[in-house]
Amino acid sequence: MDQADPGSNDRVDVRLLAEIVAGVEQSFVELYRRRHNDVYRFAFAMAKSRSFAQDVTQEVFLNVLENASRFDSAKGTVRAWLFGCARHVTLDRLRLERRWTDDMPADVGTLDSDERLLADQRVERLHAAIARLPVEYREALVLFELQELTYAETATVLDCPIGTVRSRLHRGRVLLATMLDENAQAASEVKSSVGAPLHAREVCS
Amino acid sequence: MSNTPHDASRLQSDLEQLRTALRAVEPPEVDEAALRARFRDLQQQRAQNAAALRPGGSTHFHLAAAAAVVLALGGILAAVVLRGERTESVLVPVAAEAPLAVPAPVSAFQPLPNSPSLLPSSSYNVVRVRIPLSAFAVVPGTQQGGSIEADLLVGEDGLARAIRFNEADALLVSVASQ
Repeated sequence: MDQADPGSNDRVDVRLLAEIVAGVEQSFVELYRRRHNDVYRFAFAMAKSRSFAQDVTQEVFLNVLENASRFDSAKGTVRAWLFGCARHVTLDRLRLERRWTDDMPADVGTLDSDERLLADQRVERLHAAIARLPVEYREALVLFELQELTYAETATVLDCPIGTVRSRLHRGRVLLATMLDENAQAASEVKSSVGAPLHAREVCS
Repeated sequence: MSNTPHDASRLQSDLEQLRTALRAVEPPEVDEAALRARFRDLQQQRAQNAAALRPGGSTHFHLAAAAAVVLALGGILAAVVLRGERTESVLVPVAAEAPLAVPAPVSAFQPLPNSPSLLPSSSYNVVRVRIPLSAFAVVPGTQQGGSIEADLLVGEDGLARAIRFNEADALLVSVASQ
């Protein structure tokens, strides 16, 4: 998606949405082509699971079919509206799957070209840490930092004041840094204990 | 990651890398034909709903609306008939997400409003019931005496999901309402 002229992009999105309401099939396909990447990447960033992201994307666009007439351009862009839909679907599914924070499975599936892009260890650990953040911090960070929404857009999607967004971002970053430090420390301890010679008592007891 | 604490600038740099990596993540291919089919389904449903809601709609619409009213009270009715009536377990072909109160052949099951969706893979019981016409207060001229035979499609949870009327009885009601 071209980010050079977001205003122009949004005008196109608004037109497509209006045409969807009017029953133009091609406009629905066109909007899907333009925006499904955003929705998919948001869900993938939130849950770190490709299958989860795929399901969310499908559900969001089914919602678009049924609720396109509810879009209100006064409240924000189509992109932000879609993120709002994606957020609701994601939270519902996370709730349903009890995957809020502490039961997050690692993404399953083969390592394909997408995962290879994320295979850098630091990035991989960062993504894993984000996926374990409490959801209110996670969604703020994903929208603002990873999907590059503005403060105002993030606030619209999250349906909260901008000050709350700033506060969640700050706390989210602090929590994230703490988690990453703890991970690094744990990894370091494991490494040193593996490298140290075993004492006789530990072997024989 | 190194063992040094994550300072703000380092975290920001890592987030930028993750952002770049995520930008390269591509969703799997989606069958656009399926999207188009879903779109057409929905448009068709809307058209049918609009036709059903037009003033002076058919008697079948009145019947379906009446059925909705009756079966809004229908938890009770279903429970009663489940205890007393003959039941047969069937796999019923379902008109997927058929709109409510749509004019259709009398012999077709009409999904009930506010009931869980019908699933082709689920099994349902067909329960034949006789409903007093007095219950059909929304159908003009049918308040006096008599009853109508109908088949209820009841899910395994005991809740009614759809209804169809005996064609002969339905014709009687149709005549009576004119």
